[in-house]
Amino acid sequence: MPEGSASLQLAVGDRVVYPNQGVCRVSAIDVKEVAGQKLTFVTMRREEDGAVVMVPEGKVLSIGVRKVASAEDVEAIFSFLRSDSDKADLDWKQRARTNLDRMTQGGIMGLAEVVKGLQVLSELRPLPTKERELYDNARHLLVTEVAAALGTAEVNAEDAIDIVLFPPGRERPKRTAAEFQREDGDLDLDSDLLGLDSDLDLPSDEEPSEPSEEESSEEGESEEAESSEEGAPKKRGRPPKAKTEAPEGAEPAAPKKRGRPPKPKPEATAEGAEPAAPKKRGRPPKPKPPEAEGAAPAAPKKRGRPPKVKPPEGES
Amino acid sequence: MIRVVTLDPFDDKQLAKFNRTLYTAFGVGSEHSGSAEVPAGMSEPLDAEKLMDEVQGIRSYKDDKVLLLTTRKLKDRELPSGVAPTAGFARQGKDRAILTIAPHKDLESAFKAVTRHALHQLGHLWELHHCLDPRCSMYPPWTPSFAQGEAIFCTFCREKSEQKIRLAKS
Repeated sequence: MPEGSASLQLAVGDRVVYPNQGVCRVSAIDVKEVAGQKLTFVTMRREEDGAVVMVPEGKVLSIGVRKVASAEDVEAIFSFLRSDSDKADLDWKQRARTNLDRMTQGGIMGLAEVVKGLQVLSELRPLPTKERELYDNARHLLVTEVAAALGTAEVNAEDAIDIVLFPPGRERPKRTAAEFQREDGDLDLDSDLLGLDSDLDLPSDEEPSEPSEEESSEEGESEEAESSEEGAPKKRGRPPKAKTEAPEGAEPAAPKKRGRPPKPKPEATAEGAEPAAPKKRGRPPKPKPPEAEGAAPAAPKKRGRPPKVKPPEGES
Repeated sequence: MIRVVTLDPFDDKQLAKFNRTLYTAFGVGSEHSGSAEVPAGMSEPLDAEKLMDEVQGIRSYKDDKVLLLTTRKLKDRELPSGVAPTAGFARQGKDRAILTIAPHKDLESAFKAVTRHALHQLGHLWELHHCLDPRCSMYPPWTPSFAQGEAIFCTFCREKSEQKIRLAKS
């Protein structure tokens, strides 16, 4: 249930916030007959562009429509944004889910949390396109609601927010992945945070894919290796792989190749046997009909209509 | 069309260069459309919001964006969360912005910083918000590194401004 919506009594002229759409004004509440049922509809007009939406009265709460935040709420937003929070979820799936919930059900504080969280994350690395869009949407909704709550211009509301987020005379700090480390020691890092982007050849603005089994097993190995070296200062990026000691005199193992392993080659049946011809791709050729020895080769089949049979001479 | 209206005397060559930079950044025409007078009774530092509302004698078409350029200092704005240093002012999605070159004397001495501020204010007119990228002109303008940057947009802001301009044209 969104905050402040437990007892939502709407009247014509009220300013409300429609989740993910922005500040709207209730323009009418009337009864309409739909499919033989009489339903009370709340008509809202978005202040930004005048778009109209009609919502059945019974659905207003479940959709998450709420009253515009008060000045006290805005003060709470400022103090939250001012706080030196360095909490950012590094698991992109979890982050996307949480941010979606915050945008729809979180109220104005949810919007502020999305903005703050993504801003903190951007201090670690540039945001991917989707999250940059989400940041822009959340910022736009937050700015319009703060402007509506304070009764000021949007640009002043935005500057009021950004004075808190980007204090004058100070540069934004550059963060490292180590700063996001959880208290229990579980880094919960994505592959991209470990500097695997270049290895995997992922476009920078795409969501990182889940690490493959091979990688997870490698990470498992490295974690084990890390645990054995307690007390050593932690380095950034992927930890070095633990070297397996080869027996003396043995040849050093070839470096492990990444990607799909090559298919095993079929072993030769007997020594000296000719290697099998390479398999041709595509449709196999049609089998030729058996030809009699010495027989003349069949004339090539003519295409088109067969010639008319001439009547035998002498007949009338 | 971007129309630059001067509230104080400026060098024509510098204004032409300034317009070329705006044209390059937005891809729409930019020209010096004359000058206007600061309303009587307004003293330095000027109240940006009041000045923008009260300045007279500016002719423009519906989709034009007007940038008022002055050498006089603008008053810092008192906001609920603190004081906002004000080198320029523009209302989101509207048609008028104001920009000062103070504390610099002329355009030439601080051309890069002034054009970056101009892009920022005009970006607000095309409904751009502040950006997270310190290289982008939509980065908050009171940060120390802002004046040193180039007058360019990041990919996201450039695409968004192009989209808004395309929508305004159609």
